[in-house]
Amino acid sequence: MARITGRYLLNRLLVSVVTVYVLATLLFVLLHAMPGSPIDSLIGPSMSTEQIENIEARFGLDQPLWIQYVQFITSVTVFDFGFSVQTLEPVRQRLIDRLIPTLVLFAPAFMIQYSLGSVIGTYLGWNRGSKLDFTGFTAGLFMYSIPFFWLAWILLGVFSYELGWFPSGSMVPPYTTSFDWLTAVVELLLHMTIPVLSLALVGWAGPMLVMRTTMQDVVDADYVDFARAQGYDEPTVMTRFGARNALIPVVTQAIIGIAFMIDGSVIVETVFSWPGIGQLLVNAIFSKDLPTALAAFYTLGVMIVVLRFFTDVVYTLLDPRIEFGGEA
Amino acid sequence: MAGDVGDPVRPEAEGATSGGLRERLYPFVVGARRTWGQFTQSRLGVIGLLVIAAITAMAVFAPVLAPHPLEWQAFGENPTFSEAGKLPHPPAFGDPFFAPLGTDSLGHGILTQLIYGSRTALFIGIAAGTLSSLVGVPLGIVSGYYSNSWIDESIQRVVDVMYGLPFLPLVIVLVFINGVTTFNIIMGIVAKSWLNNAIVIRGQVLSLSERPFVEAAEASGASDGRIMWRHLLPNVLPLGFIYLAQDAAFAILIQASLAFLGLADFTKVSWGTMLQWIQVEGYIYTAPWWLFPPGIMIALLAASFYFIGYSLEDVMNPGGGS
Repeated sequence: MARITGRYLLNRLLVSVVTVYVLATLLFVLLHAMPGSPIDSLIGPSMSTEQIENIEARFGLDQPLWIQYVQFITSVTVFDFGFSVQTLEPVRQRLIDRLIPTLVLFAPAFMIQYSLGSVIGTYLGWNRGSKLDFTGFTAGLFMYSIPFFWLAWILLGVFSYELGWFPSGSMVPPYTTSFDWLTAVVELLLHMTIPVLSLALVGWAGPMLVMRTTMQDVVDADYVDFARAQGYDEPTVMTRFGARNALIPVVTQAIIGIAFMIDGSVIVETVFSWPGIGQLLVNAIFSKDLPTALAAFYTLGVMIVVLRFFTDVVYTLLDPRIEFGGEA
Repeated sequence: MAGDVGDPVRPEAEGATSGGLRERLYPFVVGARRTWGQFTQSRLGVIGLLVIAAITAMAVFAPVLAPHPLEWQAFGENPTFSEAGKLPHPPAFGDPFFAPLGTDSLGHGILTQLIYGSRTALFIGIAAGTLSSLVGVPLGIVSGYYSNSWIDESIQRVVDVMYGLPFLPLVIVLVFINGVTTFNIIMGIVAKSWLNNAIVIRGQVLSLSERPFVEAAEASGASDGRIMWRHLLPNVLPLGFIYLAQDAAFAILIQASLAFLGLADFTKVSWGTMLQWIQVEGYIYTAPWWLFPPGIMIALLAASFYFIGYSLEDVMNPGGGS
């Protein structure tokens, strides 16, 4: 069994590496597909040819295309994106500054979504066909269909604009460094509440749907009847014997869920002015700072690849029975 | 995920010499009838279908239903200063003009925009859903039928790599570079949404390929193309419809999100651009008559597509272990 697992993981690692490579190449193509030169915004009409050539040399644009490509791929691999044409800072530094807030927001939101969705899905799947099941299923699908930013606006309107309980955006108030750590943490939690709440409201449906479907297969299994016959009460049978065996597809779904959430970060962070990578991407695009935009895009892609690989590893550890050799 | 279609559809006219069009399409007709029969058992699916029918009627008869043409403005094109101060105008009795849901900050009627906006939403949903099925279903069938060959392997690797790309950021970058047109937005959405189709259809074909009716067709010398077209396609179509509906819902939501970021064709009114406009004008918290209707319509339409998709899936996979 271990041999199959090892081969499977190696295969997944290879796919991850190829994905990152495709991502980097895509960036290069996009960068060169843009009309004009990336440094247009830095060039003024009064500059001499020599000055322009200097700037081109600084961004490596005087080299032949294939050398530019090789250099691009090698530097991108180590997250070296050169300098932002907007702020002239190294892009890497801007990315690192933005990575933490993204993780701080999405890690708890993801956990809440998934625990909530799995629990509700367990219950609905167990009581399939009941009135509660119908209501929960309908509600879940409807919440899933609400445009996220619109829901966020409504929550902000009620809790921030009308009631004034929570701040309306950003991660911490300005000049946080002058606070003591307790105030800083409380402020952070206050700022996080509405984003996490709206993410959870929209996102619980995904794991709920999967859990509900797999619970249906478990509900009539012999070992469930057997557990009942042994005299376990219904909640114990449902959780310990039913849900535990239905969890594996939910983990698979989590791979898609993570990617979906990172995708959505561009919307979530824009609507809440959350200083993460998604917002960096959107801002960079609208200020035509293409190196920064593509770097943010690349980072989001790498995050998805890394998390997918990580989930694959966890998945393999969770259930050694699963045979990956033949692509289930 | 969605298990079997029940009995596979068997082309009963197999082997008959005459091959009229009607006969050729027979397996599809049988499949469609059976799926319809299963589908109407689901209350939720029927509700979804009715809502979509209503919204379609709204889109088709927009000029009749809307109280004003799209260009209409409450105080004309050049309102006086005091008139402009009354905009956006909440729905109220005793107005000199008729605007049942109020107006936006330029005096356009919300109801009128809402009715015309259904056209964009339906078009994007159905176009993106259909296109991703047209790409995903054939690739899924081919990949599943030639499983474990280089064809399958290469399709699967492409799918694998594309799954790793950040979707919304990619669409944003692509749309930004190629220009913000409805066509580019649909293409950006389809570039990702065919993946699910291909994977699920492939899985279904893998399990169908082991059924006797496929073996029988192989034994009687049917060509690969014929097996895929006459025996496999009719049996995976219901599953294809599930994903078409889900892709349509997804596309409608993505279009709204792109509009929120400012990436939409603002020459055409859509529910997404209505929401973008309220944000630009800064009336999110103060003009609920303007904020709520477009969001509700987006959710209603997307939910209807999801209702159809998931209830089909539910009917086809009634649970209960074997």
